[in-house]
Amino acid sequence: MRLSFIRPISCCAVSSSPSTSFKPQTPLFLRPPTFKTTLSDLKKWHLWAKSLASSVSSTFLKLDNGPNSELLLRELNWLIEDTIETPKSFFQETINPVSTRVCLDELYNLWKQRVEKRRPFQYIVGCEHWRDLVLSVEEGVLIPRPETELIVDLVDDVIKENEELKEGLWADLGTGSGALAIGIARVLGSDGRVIATDLSPVATAVASYNVQRYDLEEKVHVKQGSWFEPLRDDEGEFVGLVSNPPYIPSKEIGGLQAEVGRHEPRLALDGGESGMNDLIHLCDGAVSMLKPGGFFAFETNGDEQSKFLVHYIETKKQGNFSKVKMVSDFAGIKRFITGFRGR
Amino acid sequence: MVRSIFKSFLNLPIPKAIANIPILTPSCRPHSTPKFYLPVGKKIQHIGPLFSVPVGERFQEFGSLFSAKYSTNASNNSNGSIDTGISGREYLLISDEELMKQCELTTFKASGPGGQHRNKRESAVRLKHNPTGIIAQAVEDRSQHMNRASALSRLRALLALKVRNNIELDTYTPPQELLQILPAKSTLRGSNCGPQIGPNNPKFSLGMQALLDLLFAVEGSVSDAAKKLGLSTGALSRLLLSDNSLRMAVNEFRISKGMKPLK
Repeated sequence: MRLSFIRPISCCAVSSSPSTSFKPQTPLFLRPPTFKTTLSDLKKWHLWAKSLASSVSSTFLKLDNGPNSELLLRELNWLIEDTIETPKSFFQETINPVSTRVCLDELYNLWKQRVEKRRPFQYIVGCEHWRDLVLSVEEGVLIPRPETELIVDLVDDVIKENEELKEGLWADLGTGSGALAIGIARVLGSDGRVIATDLSPVATAVASYNVQRYDLEEKVHVKQGSWFEPLRDDEGEFVGLVSNPPYIPSKEIGGLQAEVGRHEPRLALDGGESGMNDLIHLCDGAVSMLKPGGFFAFETNGDEQSKFLVHYIETKKQGNFSKVKMVSDFAGIKRFITGFRGR
Repeated sequence: MVRSIFKSFLNLPIPKAIANIPILTPSCRPHSTPKFYLPVGKKIQHIGPLFSVPVGERFQEFGSLFSAKYSTNASNNSNGSIDTGISGREYLLISDEELMKQCELTTFKASGPGGQHRNKRESAVRLKHNPTGIIAQAVEDRSQHMNRASALSRLRALLALKVRNNIELDTYTPPQELLQILPAKSTLRGSNCGPQIGPNNPKFSLGMQALLDLLFAVEGSVSDAAKKLGLSTGALSRLLLSDNSLRMAVNEFRISKGMKPLK
């Protein structure tokens, strides 16, 4: 079983996704610094960008809990880190002209989009720093959230005590940028493998790109399709399932922070009327997908959903799972449900 | 039982909002700050200053390093030292994971549902070391994971600076980790010590802690400490001044003893 999975990986990781027509963007920080700008022009841009950020004050914060000036100014520094070849010498004004990875017009354009269009900073620079990874992201792919970093720690904890889980087959359902699949692949043992699925061809293309950047083509297999569908060949073979599925109730989508509601894919956010359509589907499917003793960890909207799902599993899936519990995120919200398939 | 003296800034105000955290922008990052690199794909990603951040600058809202305030959560004995039941040296020897278990981790988050609802890079991390009450934090990095690593590494430096181990002066011989940070001219330094370990090396904090233990035991006298280390007073002074946080720790202690700061 394992062998049949390993063989196609090397050729499949990228080509298996039918999205060959879709070419992921290169994050700004990986582009060559081929543009030259005079120090004075760049300083002028910097002043303009700072004043644009300052003009926001707490308007967005009051409007929809968006970023305030302070946060925007910090993002501006990160934009400089990603686009200027030698950010330090720019700040110290010891270099002229300055080499940049995008042209000056584009710098104006990008910062305008950030502030005026509320385009997420991560889409502007084309990457997100997540755990110890820098993952490529772009429009059409959910930006991985800091809360989700914890799922990798939860997996790391369970595999430490269990060799079978450490060397087994895992799945990341609705992988988006591939964050969870890559994070988990890096803590698994040498025989551990992850299949990452996503319905969106943009997501599978971006996830494949990220998998390649971390040289994990041998360990992570990206497949396009809805939830468990691409996993049918390995039904019952999984030692672990993780997912950060869409969980926001449909009626709340309209009121989201502009960066999220206007720019991130609804497919990755909207969990239907209760927000739990996909989570319930995952809990239902986990029974037949997991090996006895297998582990699952799903992210939820928080306390209410987690409580509901734990109750759902304990009553509707009676006897199928053990040690089902809620786990809090750093903010104390019961963000995750975890458990084991009964033996 | 091993006793350690330490002075902490318990009871000092804790920043309530992210606005209170000093932020190191690239423009004010000190040149001498050691950097920590790790490979990310095909790029080497710089993840910010890690170890010897100028402590006074970054932690000033917690009060001075060697303020006269003593911890209240551990039993005070007659000479004002704190009995934490574990030597300060042990804190530095345990793994990151074990040290993390002794800490309370908080992040600075705004209210709201979080998760998918939110796109804000507020990844600041604050670690409170429960046995000592020492607080370390990091905010300047772009991921929470990295800020946690930075905070932990800063915590190690603070533990070295603040948690004192009692030593017996009469029978004193410098421990290996201290010999390793001494310059080669020390007469006590055997050839098995290897090259001198500098402030950029993670092992430096262990030697720095032992050096401060000695300096505290000799009441801040550089010449007395130098004798115990087989060094000239000038050579030890140069070592004490070679690291920013070490220099500040020594000088605060000397000032508290009515001595002149080293320059």
